Amino acid sequence: MAQYTQIGKPARRVDALEKVTGKAKYLADYHLPGMLYARALRSELPHARIVRLDTAPALAIPGVRAVITNADFSDRGSYGFPVKDQYMMACEKVRHVGEAIAAVAAETPEAALAGVAAIICELEPLPAVFDPEHALDPGAPQIGPSRPDGKHPNFLDREIVHKDDPVTVLAQCPVVLDEVYATCHQEHAYLETEGALAVPTPEGGVTVYASNQSPFILQGNLANVLGLPSNLVRAIQPPVGGSFGGKDDLNYESSAQVAALALKTHRPVRMTFPREESMIASYKRDAMRMHVRLGAERDGTLRACTFEGLLDSGAYASQSVFTAWRASIHAMGAYKYDACDVEINCVYTNNGYSGAFRGFGNTEVCAAIEQAIDEVADAVAMDAIDFRLKNCLRVGDETPHGQLLTESVGLPDCLRTVRRISDWDRKRREYAGQTSNEVRRGIGVAALFHGTSLGAEGSDYAASTISVEHDYSITLTSGLTDYGTGSRTVYTMIVAEELGINPERVRMLRPDTNTALESGPTVASRSTILGGNAARVAARNLAQVLDLAAADLLGCDLHQLIRSQESYVGPSEELMPWTRVVDHAREMGLSLSAHGQWTAPKIRWDHHDGRGTPYFAYHFGAHVAEVEVDLRTGKVQVVGFWAVHDPGKVIFPQGAYGQVYGGVGQGLGYALMEQVTFANGYLQETNFDEYLIPTALDIPEIHAQFVEAEFSQGPYGAKNVAEPALVPAAPAILNAIAQATGRRIRTLPANLERVLLGHDLPREGPSRQCKRGLRIG
Amino acid sequence: MQIEFRLNGQPAAVEAPPDITLLDLLRDRLHLTGTKEGCSVGECGACSVLIDGQLYNSCLVLAPQVEGREVITIEGITAPDGGPNDLQENFIVHGAVQCGFCIPGMVLAGEALLRRKPNPTRAEIRAGLAGNLCRCTGYQHIVDAIEATARQRLSVPADALIS
Repeated sequence: MAQYTQIGKPARRVDALEKVTGKAKYLADYHLPGMLYARALRSELPHARIVRLDTAPALAIPGVRAVITNADFSDRGSYGFPVKDQYMMACEKVRHVGEAIAAVAAETPEAALAGVAAIICELEPLPAVFDPEHALDPGAPQIGPSRPDGKHPNFLDREIVHKDDPVTVLAQCPVVLDEVYATCHQEHAYLETEGALAVPTPEGGVTVYASNQSPFILQGNLANVLGLPSNLVRAIQPPVGGSFGGKDDLNYESSAQVAALALKTHRPVRMTFPREESMIASYKRDAMRMHVRLGAERDGTLRACTFEGLLDSGAYASQSVFTAWRASIHAMGAYKYDACDVEINCVYTNNGYSGAFRGFGNTEVCAAIEQAIDEVADAVAMDAIDFRLKNCLRVGDETPHGQLLTESVGLPDCLRTVRRISDWDRKRREYAGQTSNEVRRGIGVAALFHGTSLGAEGSDYAASTISVEHDYSITLTSGLTDYGTGSRTVYTMIVAEELGINPERVRMLRPDTNTALESGPTVASRSTILGGNAARVAARNLAQVLDLAAADLLGCDLHQLIRSQESYVGPSEELMPWTRVVDHAREMGLSLSAHGQWTAPKIRWDHHDGRGTPYFAYHFGAHVAEVEVDLRTGKVQVVGFWAVHDPGKVIFPQGAYGQVYGGVGQGLGYALMEQVTFANGYLQETNFDEYLIPTALDIPEIHAQFVEAEFSQGPYGAKNVAEPALVPAAPAILNAIAQATGRRIRTLPANLERVLLGHDLPREGPSRQCKRGLRIG
Repeated sequence: MQIEFRLNGQPAAVEAPPDITLLDLLRDRLHLTGTKEGCSVGECGACSVLIDGQLYNSCLVLAPQVEGREVITIEGITAPDGGPNDLQENFIVHGAVQCGFCIPGMVLAGEALLRRKPNPTRAEIRAGLAGNLCRCTGYQHIVDAIEATARQRLSVPADALIS
């Protein structure tokens, strides 16, 4: 086993000090001289035509300096990838409550709000679609433009996986499960709301600071809609107060709005969101309805799966096409089947809009399939972990997609480990057959696989730059953002490892499109493997130069060099300090800056046949949850949690454990309390008093452990960890509730009424809360 | 109106309208931006400060209410040498920080708890953090950091601690 000096060892997070002292400057902490405050006018209707928009009255409000609308952008502010259906501000109509229509810049936040109130905006209501099941009805109101292929305009996408003929196999199976599961939208609930600050430059361009995930995509979007060349648009990444997939589209829009206002007023313009505006205007995790059929032999051999999912994308496509694709790939779970058909359909509605959220489709389908797997295990009277071990993927297996798994499959180890550390067998036995009508316990398991990085979503690469400064510090960049994940610390450790230096020499910058290299989006848990490999390549390129200088200085061949801490040692065993080697490299005229790029291995996916190699590697994991259910109130308390993950290799242990703990917390919220209600398109939960996320009292002590099934092409064997940590938590909890109560809750979240009564209570809310949140009602 | 109080150990006198919150007073008038705004309705705890040693959501306190009282914000939590104090250092060492937005509030919640309960159990620490939301960490490393600080403080003289 390789011996490392940094990798897998304790390390201090590079930005922890500035954060514990309160010195870290987040977007809302920026105050520039002459800065204006921006505020958007947002739609109070879920679907409407904009029949009149008069901004002149706003300009008459004292302190208001500029107002913009869709007309202030090139190409009407059109943006979006892979489907270009969104606008930086509404174009001719609005498709969801909270959609921006105009934006005002003023000397004070109060004047900006008064300016927004003064805008004359007449909306003519249009019939709307709130039930995704009826989005494709022949008479359904049309949300988007007509499609050139003649399909229903509310149809967005269909993704499939196909292996043989599961319907025939199901007919042969003695045990068949046929159930419907549903998940709810989920709010990211990053503690820092959205925001952007634009500063006009003397050259006629703009510098934008945004609480954003992917600065290069922001730069590209801004250049397009502002009609500026890319080199006049600079995006700088301040610290980001949480993201979880949620800080893309809405921040592109806010950034474009403040940029246009800054260009118009020649002054810095900042927009920050109150919590209500953030929750009403931002995209959510999509809601899915899933019909699952599983067939098995009486001995517990899984044979066939059909999975039909309906994904509510809301008003715009955002990332839903990719979400649907990732959902389709993972829908059948990490198991072998003789035959398997998955079909995920994606439709437009007027329920806000759905976009990226940690887990990205897999969180949704895992909640269904891992309950369904449990139900089949019950039906054949097998232990839930034995059943999974009997059917799960191993090295040498072919997945239902047709991919041969040749390495790095830690799932059986994860399942065995979580069984042991949770004391599963004893508790599972003990909790079977409880008769109390007051409080009962249950324990449940869920497994997962999760494709690493983008897969067949698109080209997959990242880049880093590295240079040695005159004070012998190292400046390192990456095009990927650390929005709390710890990736800057991971890159620092990797570079220190490769160069054989003290990590304190490394100054890892935040992304700035003027200094970092384009690296694609910061999504899909790709930072460690893509960005980490890029940093490693950059460091190795620099190390090569320094090794040459050291060999020259020590008068030896490269292969004779060894290292003793930072120093180089030659054949005569003299120690040459690293700083001296740096000096010598400069004397030799060698360049002490380098860059590194890493491109992911080729993969292919046939969208028509639903077959191929969707991802170059997979993360595996297994969670066990132990719950206490109060049968008198429906209250579920998670009293124990065990999470075992195979991230390939742990580089930054503290960060990896933190990802698992945080992921479990978000999954616990998803399972039990996080409820997004769109009542006729109006969000009912507009702040943390209604939208409940887990507190320190809701999350139990979590016991996390790693199984390191190294991946040959990952940095030191690493794959990914952030998204997978969340994915199986909810079904593990739901399976535990089922054991405790003997009753299954197939609709998330398992709130009090569903646990106590077994059904929903009507929640027909008014638009009042939502309008008050937008300061318009 | 003029509001006079002690802020992070120093006398402070600020001219401010009577209807602004302590949070706005701190952030907008005094430019102490370590205190964060997360919800403005007293649910998230990102704006936590100590008033006379007790934990408050500064978004729910009107600025004039601190007249004559002692307010400590994250800027007032330091070691005597100006670096992080023992609790902040433990937040770093134990990995309690991810995005960091809730962290100033968490540090103050930890200080308030340790003043009230120098030897808390993990369950008591969790109860002490119940008014402070964190979306990144699952709280576990934060609990670790506060627990470790309590242990260390019990083994060293009290006057060597926070400023």
